[in-house]
Amino acid sequence: MHSPTSNHWKKKLPVKKNRRLFLLLFALLVAAFIGDLFTGNAPISPGEAWAALFGNSGDAIIDEIIRNYRLPKAITAVIAGSALSLSGLLMQTLFRNPLAGPDVLGVSAGAGLGVALLTLLSSTAAYPFIAAMGNMAQITAAIAGAAAVMVLILAVSARIKDSVTILVLGMIFGYVASALVTILQSFADPDSLKVFVTWTFGSLGGVTWDKMPLLLSLVVTGIVLASFMQKSLNSLLLGENYAMSTGQHIKQIRLFIITISAIITGAVTAFTGPIAFVGVVIPHFARTFFVTVNHKTILQATLLLGSILMLTCDIVSQIPLTGRTLPINAVTAVFGAPMIVWIVLKRKKL
Amino acid sequence: MLLIKNKRLLLSIACTLFFVTWGCQRGQHRESGHDVEKPLSSVVPRYAKGFQIDHFNGYRKVTLHNPWNNNEPYAVYYLYRNDSTSLPAGGIKLKTPLTSLTVNTFSYFSFLSLLGEEDVITGVTDGFRIYHPGILHKLETEEVADLGDPFHPNIEMTLALKPEAIISSAYAQRDNYSERLIQAGFPIIYSLEWMENSPLARAEWIRMIAAFFDKETQADSIFAGIEQRYLQLQEKVKDVSSPRSVLSGDNFQGTWYVPGGKSFNATLFRDAQLDYRYKNNRERGSVGLDIESVLTQFGKADYWFGCEADSYAELAEKDAKYLLLQAVKKRQVFNNHNRVTPSGGNDYFESAIANPDLLLSDLVKAAYPELLPHYAFTYIKPLEEKAAREKK
Repeated sequence: MHSPTSNHWKKKLPVKKNRRLFLLLFALLVAAFIGDLFTGNAPISPGEAWAALFGNSGDAIIDEIIRNYRLPKAITAVIAGSALSLSGLLMQTLFRNPLAGPDVLGVSAGAGLGVALLTLLSSTAAYPFIAAMGNMAQITAAIAGAAAVMVLILAVSARIKDSVTILVLGMIFGYVASALVTILQSFADPDSLKVFVTWTFGSLGGVTWDKMPLLLSLVVTGIVLASFMQKSLNSLLLGENYAMSTGQHIKQIRLFIITISAIITGAVTAFTGPIAFVGVVIPHFARTFFVTVNHKTILQATLLLGSILMLTCDIVSQIPLTGRTLPINAVTAVFGAPMIVWIVLKRKKL
Repeated sequence: MLLIKNKRLLLSIACTLFFVTWGCQRGQHRESGHDVEKPLSSVVPRYAKGFQIDHFNGYRKVTLHNPWNNNEPYAVYYLYRNDSTSLPAGGIKLKTPLTSLTVNTFSYFSFLSLLGEEDVITGVTDGFRIYHPGILHKLETEEVADLGDPFHPNIEMTLALKPEAIISSAYAQRDNYSERLIQAGFPIIYSLEWMENSPLARAEWIRMIAAFFDKETQADSIFAGIEQRYLQLQEKVKDVSSPRSVLSGDNFQGTWYVPGGKSFNATLFRDAQLDYRYKNNRERGSVGLDIESVLTQFGKADYWFGCEADSYAELAEKDAKYLLLQAVKKRQVFNNHNRVTPSGGNDYFESAIANPDLLLSDLVKAAYPELLPHYAFTYIKPLEEKAAREKK
């Protein structure tokens, strides 16, 4: 990340160049989206996939796979990729820490704790209550866990002046939540344990059409709210004192950023399981790509790049090695890391 | 720039979003049908507690009870042969006999083989961990597809196989896989036999699955044979003068999981006249103990079943504390590795469910060999002295 004193964001690159880059990214996004729709384990030709998408392939199963499995999965990839990357960007700017990511507030760990509790309690007296929640049980548990940590963080943020302290406390909450998960795991029977471990693999395929509106509305709300904050985010880059001198209400901005980040991270984690790496790396990638730290550009670039990376990772996870789909949480890091290392080596810095 | 002037407002956004989510949950649990008419006859299992089959005019109703909640069934199936049959509302409706199935749980391979319905299997999970030679062969010739991990099988491949039903393990919570299949209109036959805590109860589930192939009579006679052999052996072993004591399970990363007193293995030990220290424990699953507790509570046990090692040398190498157990000193330790494949397939996890008599025979042969002089172990195997690599 560029040092806060570097006035990169003040430099204006030729608008045309940026426009070209955005067009290129948008084209890549469309290509990755279509590529994702055409990739899968079922033998479906692009022609059949196209027909299923825009009409009728003549085979109900192909229609089902394309329309009700691959399409919501690709949309989820776009939502998850952009949301996690945006959350990472917000955290890096707020804490002025290049290693910050969506998980620093402990929200993902809170979601994990919620799911771990559900998995363990599902075979106890709490079963009727959990069963009544039907297919939303896991998501509700994850959101409840994430929200609990978020409320804690907000309560702390309202009292503490220093952002770094919040960062440390967030990580402490995260560690406590992870420790509780470990305790729960040690009590769990092997089947419940496997159900939980499977959740931690991350999955883009679990979001069905009936769940999509909720995920979409939570994330879009977050993105829209964040887009109103570009100016505040830019002033934060120069330090909180500078931001205050420009008349910004630091405490409120901070609470606002934390809320947005926690909501979108919590929502995505609840629906897809934890997905690492993307949130930390994409903001750096965006800054490198557009040679700026101005949030006016970076925010949109982060959304686009995050979506492209997640779609690409989903395509990679479908590569049929043993008839198994690779866990998306692993693919993002294993596949994404060499890509980033290559860029770093090429440019000799992020 | 949007500035929120009141942090209460900020918190209320968070809370609203949370409650919106809460409000979005929908009660989508399986519907249960309401039968107006009375069944013509009913199959009430003799040992199993998890299912019931009712015969009506033109159709049968298979009810899977919910092990976690007595008030509502886990699933209800209406099985019919003629399309013209009118069926009650709700439940999962299936035309029998089924002709294609994907099977995500190993325990049904044996049931289907015994019923002569092995050929209906078109997809399985964890192919490399399968022992069943017939299915392994079909995996090689690609007549049967490997759908991957049983906890999240490949959805696209499952759908592409177009099975008439999917046998999948039931858990206390709805998983994404089942959810997707149900939404795509594929019926799931839930495997719940693993919740039964006695060998005969688990084996009796062959009668449940047989209903989906119109082979209930055949299943009844198969199960009657299993039951007879099991009870005969149980009778035979009843009069042993001094019951031997037993330890079970193994140390897994610091925790030794021993069977609870109400578990499947505890029942098996009781039926084999083996004295199990946790016989009065109330757990249905397993109990995690540390190695110290195992040494103090089971140090004097005569036999140890379910050891994970293949040889005493391997045991000593893993942890010298194992050598303090009397069962190890007396060389009376057995693993479940008698029928395994190089890639990890183990028949103990497949056919043992349908052969509880052989499972019982194994224990009796190990502890009271004089009672079964001509029997050779099926699933269990005594540990060898040296590790396989040392013998070469």
